[in-house]
Amino acid sequence: MVKLLREIAQSVEKGDSSSLKELTQRALSEKICPEEILNDGLIRGMDEVGIKFKKNEIFIPEVLISTRAMKAGLEILRPHFFTLPQRLKGKIVMGTVKGDLHDIGKKIVCLVLESAGYEVIDIGIDTPKEKFLNVVKKESPDILGMSALLTTTMIYMREVIEILERKNLRQRVKVIIGGGPVTQSFAEEIKADGYAPNAALALSLVERLLKKKRRPE
Amino acid sequence: MKLFPQIYKIEITSHHKSIIAREKEILADKIQEAGIPLNSYCNKKGLCGKCMVEIVKGELPPLSEKEAYFLKKKKLGPRYRLACLYGIKGNLEIRIPEESLIQEMLILTTGIRETLSLNPAVKKYFLKLKKPEIKLPLSLIELVEKELGKKVLITDLGLLKDLPRLVEKSNFQLTIALKDGREIIAIEEGDTAQRAFGLAIDIGTTTLVTEVVDIISGESLGTATSKNGQAKYGADVVSRISFAYLKPENLERLNEAVLQSLNEMIANLLWKKGIKESEIYEVAIAGNTSMNHFFLGIPVESLAVAPFYSVFTHLPQLRAGSLGLKINQNARVYISPNIQSFVGGDISAGLVASGFEAKEGNFLYIDLGTNGEIVLKKKHKFLATSTAAGPAFEGMNISCGMLALSGAIYKAEFKKRLVLKTINEAPPLGICGTGLIDLIAILIEQGKISPKGNISHKEKKVWLAKNIFIDQKDVRELQLAVAAIRCGIRLILKRSKLRLKDLDGILIAGAFGNYLNIENSMKIGLLPSLDANKITFIGNASLAGARAFLLSPEIRKRAENLVRKIEFFSPAADPLFQEYFIDSLELKPYDS
Repeated sequence: MVKLLREIAQSVEKGDSSSLKELTQRALSEKICPEEILNDGLIRGMDEVGIKFKKNEIFIPEVLISTRAMKAGLEILRPHFFTLPQRLKGKIVMGTVKGDLHDIGKKIVCLVLESAGYEVIDIGIDTPKEKFLNVVKKESPDILGMSALLTTTMIYMREVIEILERKNLRQRVKVIIGGGPVTQSFAEEIKADGYAPNAALALSLVERLLKKKRRPE
Repeated sequence: MKLFPQIYKIEITSHHKSIIAREKEILADKIQEAGIPLNSYCNKKGLCGKCMVEIVKGELPPLSEKEAYFLKKKKLGPRYRLACLYGIKGNLEIRIPEESLIQEMLILTTGIRETLSLNPAVKKYFLKLKKPEIKLPLSLIELVEKELGKKVLITDLGLLKDLPRLVEKSNFQLTIALKDGREIIAIEEGDTAQRAFGLAIDIGTTTLVTEVVDIISGESLGTATSKNGQAKYGADVVSRISFAYLKPENLERLNEAVLQSLNEMIANLLWKKGIKESEIYEVAIAGNTSMNHFFLGIPVESLAVAPFYSVFTHLPQLRAGSLGLKINQNARVYISPNIQSFVGGDISAGLVASGFEAKEGNFLYIDLGTNGEIVLKKKHKFLATSTAAGPAFEGMNISCGMLALSGAIYKAEFKKRLVLKTINEAPPLGICGTGLIDLIAILIEQGKISPKGNISHKEKKVWLAKNIFIDQKDVRELQLAVAAIRCGIRLILKRSKLRLKDLDGILIAGAFGNYLNIENSMKIGLLPSLDANKITFIGNASLAGARAFLLSPEIRKRAENLVRKIEFFSPAADPLFQEYFIDSLELKPYDS
């Protein structure tokens, strides 16, 4: 079983969709629990991708290919998720902040989260705080993600968090941030709930935050 | 009384032309009307001595005082006269020496034969003032105007304060520098009319280049290259804008950094060429939008966030003294007009230098710099975009990278073994942009780097010489730079509904030296795989454009008119950007 899960993780790393589908299918027929396939197979593979990306060993296209492969594996798992506990599902709103038009990284994060079973609403680029506010009101997401590639636009994240606070919506949503110039200390400074340097770590961040969020309930 | 003026025949033996003239017409006018580019530097006022012709046969009027002066100075024979002072009174046979013709000059030294007619905005005249007399005590300025034959303007009070002492010392013999034929910007003792210089400056994000030019002959006297001192505040435009955005005093720091680099470079260059700082009367600057703003100390907040707009497009000429340049404080500084957003004056300068506007068909202009700009001409329409390539093409942000200076590996070839060429054949100190492109192309061919950019060796490094290597991060930097350009090319074509094969040509400009290997650039997908004949490498066209601005105000007008016709789009705002960008990250050839 461990070997099979390791193979699944490796297929994610390699971005080999067809062998991943086959392996996932086999894992299910061997009665491995879908949650285990997800966590110890697909997500572990994606974590490895994140580490390699950080070390420059792989690059954006490979991350994307791995993400696509992971999605293919998840399509096979999805019908079995009904048997999974509620906590795996969650709603996430993602947007690039006002003044910034970049969204490659954000889109990869969306893909990874989506393929991990979350409902992801991508509200696009150049997003003003009012729009963030309205989406939080309307959609009541569990998580709000903000992205920026420029130091000049990154500071806008603070304004979004402030308006959520003013409108008493801050407690309803976990705010995570990311993008080229963003750092953990910046996240702490503007009182975001979390920061992740890449898509794989964004996924573990989301999982962690939602576990925490749900535990008190 | 004659009802009709007498008609005479003028034989121009040097040009095998025969023309007709009427009584009292001026010889210089007739020569120019015949299509001969006779030099009229002083607008035919008899001041510059540059339109001397030899009167082989015909009326030879007595030498004027000025003509006598020029004949002696230029060591010409007794039959030479100034064509602009010569009123026709009979049949003539003349010879026009080569020195009296305006030189058509090539703007670019490589690739394209675009020319200009020399006509600098600042001109110098040697004047022998008539001394004032008790019956008519004219002011000194009036005396100058009398000699020049026109009204002048002085905006610098300092010049007036110096004038009496200078007049006294030089015994009423002065040289003045006149801008646009009207404004006095310098007054010097004695005859210095032959010493007038200008600076063409390319302010790049990473690299600065200054060229000193004799603005009388149009001759280039030499260039100097140095690093933009702003680099310590950020490697690319975006990080410098962010830095400026952080605190108001940071803009000042950026401004001071570039000025310091420029002033040091200028002082060095002038010292080497034996030119005094006060002998620089004109400067033309080509820089991208952000660099122009920083050089002038203009806030860049509007360039920091979308929709990314600039504060100015084009400006009147500014006084060097007001900008902090250490040259003649009255020298005029012309800033090449910005196009839109991040596409700035370096591109408008390059476009006019390369005659881009007049090209027939569909053409691309690509400037490979830290900011990679791309302009497309589709019949009569122009579209421009700017991509954040990063400083890899200029050898920066690369572990062993350096500018294209002495000791840089600028070229690599594989002939049984790896052969590295360095600038000035000096011992290798590092790798510049063109060398990096060659090396990566070779290493991919040898399988040492995959097209995806992965270095196969466990160490994740390729050693090239003692202390010189390429590592994994370096390959990624180049991949990003290549993808930015390639994605830009594909987007601009897509927007214009053109395919690569519809292009009649691509002009490649860049400040990274003149060594770009087109074949290797195609192998790594920096340039599309087109018929190599369609691709012309034109070197530092921005600098060439700046030089053209110095020598011809007409070229400035051309640039100012051209920028209004160019439309801009921001690549990141294009819905196809992401897909194209990611597709472009692989280092492999492309032809569609």
